[in-house]
Amino acid sequence: MHRNMSQICPGGCATCSEYNGCMSCKPRLFFHLERRDMKQIGVCVSSCPPGHVGQRSRERNECIKCKADCEACFNKNFCMKCKNGFYLHHGKCLENCPDWLEPNNHTMECNEIVH
Amino acid sequence: MDPLSPWWLFLSFSGALKIASMEQEVAPSCPPLCHCEEDGIMLSVDCSELALSSVPDGLSPLTAYLDLSMNNISELMPGDFQHLRFLEELRLSGNLLSDIPGEAFSGLYNLKILMLQNNQLIQIPAEALRDLPNLQSLRLDANLISVVPDKSFEGLPSLRHLWLDDNALTEIPVKALNNLPALQAMTLALNQIWHIPDYAFENLTSLVVLHLHNNQIQSLGIHSFEGLHSLETLDLNYNELVEFPVAIRTLGRLQELGFHNNNIKAIPEKAFAGNPLLQIMTLTRAGIRLLPGEMCQQLPSLRILELSHNQIKELPSFHYCQRLEEIGLQHNCIYEIGADTFRQLTALRSIDLGWNYIQSIHSEAFVTLHSLTKLDLTDNQLMTLPLGGLSGLTHLKLKGNPALSESFSKESFPKMRVLEVPYAYQCCAYGACGNFFKVSSQWDSEDISPEDDDGHKRTLGLFPGHVDNHYDLDLDDFQLEREDSKLHPNIQCTPSPGPFKPCDHLFE
Repeated sequence: MHRNMSQICPGGCATCSEYNGCMSCKPRLFFHLERRDMKQIGVCVSSCPPGHVGQRSRERNECIKCKADCEACFNKNFCMKCKNGFYLHHGKCLENCPDWLEPNNHTMECNEIVH
Repeated sequence: MDPLSPWWLFLSFSGALKIASMEQEVAPSCPPLCHCEEDGIMLSVDCSELALSSVPDGLSPLTAYLDLSMNNISELMPGDFQHLRFLEELRLSGNLLSDIPGEAFSGLYNLKILMLQNNQLIQIPAEALRDLPNLQSLRLDANLISVVPDKSFEGLPSLRHLWLDDNALTEIPVKALNNLPALQAMTLALNQIWHIPDYAFENLTSLVVLHLHNNQIQSLGIHSFEGLHSLETLDLNYNELVEFPVAIRTLGRLQELGFHNNNIKAIPEKAFAGNPLLQIMTLTRAGIRLLPGEMCQQLPSLRILELSHNQIKELPSFHYCQRLEEIGLQHNCIYEIGADTFRQLTALRSIDLGWNYIQSIHSEAFVTLHSLTKLDLTDNQLMTLPLGGLSGLTHLKLKGNPALSESFSKESFPKMRVLEVPYAYQCCAYGACGNFFKVSSQWDSEDISPEDDDGHKRTLGLFPGHVDNHYDLDLDDFQLEREDSKLHPNIQCTPSPGPFKPCDHLFE
């Protein structure tokens, strides 16, 4: 059954339905499809879950996936924090640091070599 | 003293324990209603969506992560977080903050991530941001910010990621951006910026990503992008540019450039002389009529070229774009394809020429395209299709070419999977009209051909209509690979023959 804001919709929703959760969001919030068991439920968030980034446009704000090796990204191609086992350098997740850089296993980043 | 140095951490840690024990009763480790989780000796505290109107009391000094998002907090008090020396991430997004007092974040020397998006700030809380030496990510998007004081980011030497999109900025905050040596990614999208002055980003030497889409940018200076030595992605989509931004010639490391939905009309000669690493270029709906002849000589690394929805009549030779994989030319005014247009583009997989006025295609046009799998010629004026070089096609779209009445033999397209032709009888060219190939609209389980061991129904969308799909794994490809291994290849051919669309060509 389709409801709008006046009826009881979860926080951030503009419209929702009993089965699908949020169908559209209040202005400037991000729409995200969250997996719950076998279902996908619409939710409206101010920041997207790990592994996703909020993409804003005139028509719609939605969470989109980062790359598979990225935990938090600025856009689809620029990572801010890599998943375990990867080193971060200039927005990219690398399995190993290039020769001219030094791996920092505390921050999991590739740093300039200080001579 | 460097806040991350072991000595400082030890002092802070023992100080924190002293604070905790000095209070008469030991502060509750978790504020009421909040959800707390231990992470080693540190604490993650989630107080989101609790209709809170202020920062809760009783936050443990060992809190490293604090989520106060999606509440009704309209005011922060000076020192609200003063005792949280180990705090690394503070989420205040989705509240009602219209201002932030200068002392609100004092003492947060280890703070790395600060989220203030979706509030009601009208200017950058410069005083509050004065002393956050380890802050790396600052989100200020979706506020009402129209004022960026010059010293807004002075106290943020480690800042890497800055969100200012979806605000009310009318100009680039040049002075405020003058001292951010570590900044790597910034978005100023969805504001009302109309001009980019010369040297606007001069000191942002580490900037890799710059989003400026959805503004009202009409003009740029010739030196607007000077200093952006590390820039790889520049997004000027959905602006009001009326001239090609020659300022990009200083961006020697640029890999992705977008200025679709502008009104540029023409791309000058030598436009990309300074961008040898450019891989992805999106020029959809940019009002372009003319492409420079030597464009590709300057673009040896180009992989994806999106030129759809323009007014291009004549195509240059893309021969020197040797790494080109995808080219989108749909919805232009192209009337012919020459022998040289796509010559020796051996990496080219997909050409979209739909919705043009193409009457003739040179017989040699596709001969050297050994990787071509997708060709879209929907809605043109073709009378014939040269088959040389098309044997590797898996997708071919020819609908909307009324004069193209020839039939195709099965041998012409041995790998064909999805075929769209002007007339139903052209689907019959692949053998008996009945069961051999399954047409999407009439498939049901009993009718599946015997070789089909899996009985799996397949309805493939032919071409990803939206430009974004060119960069992601194409759903068709994914389904194709899965299908290849299991099913004998059925060809999905439309329009499907039937009682009223017989196989015999009535006019022969």
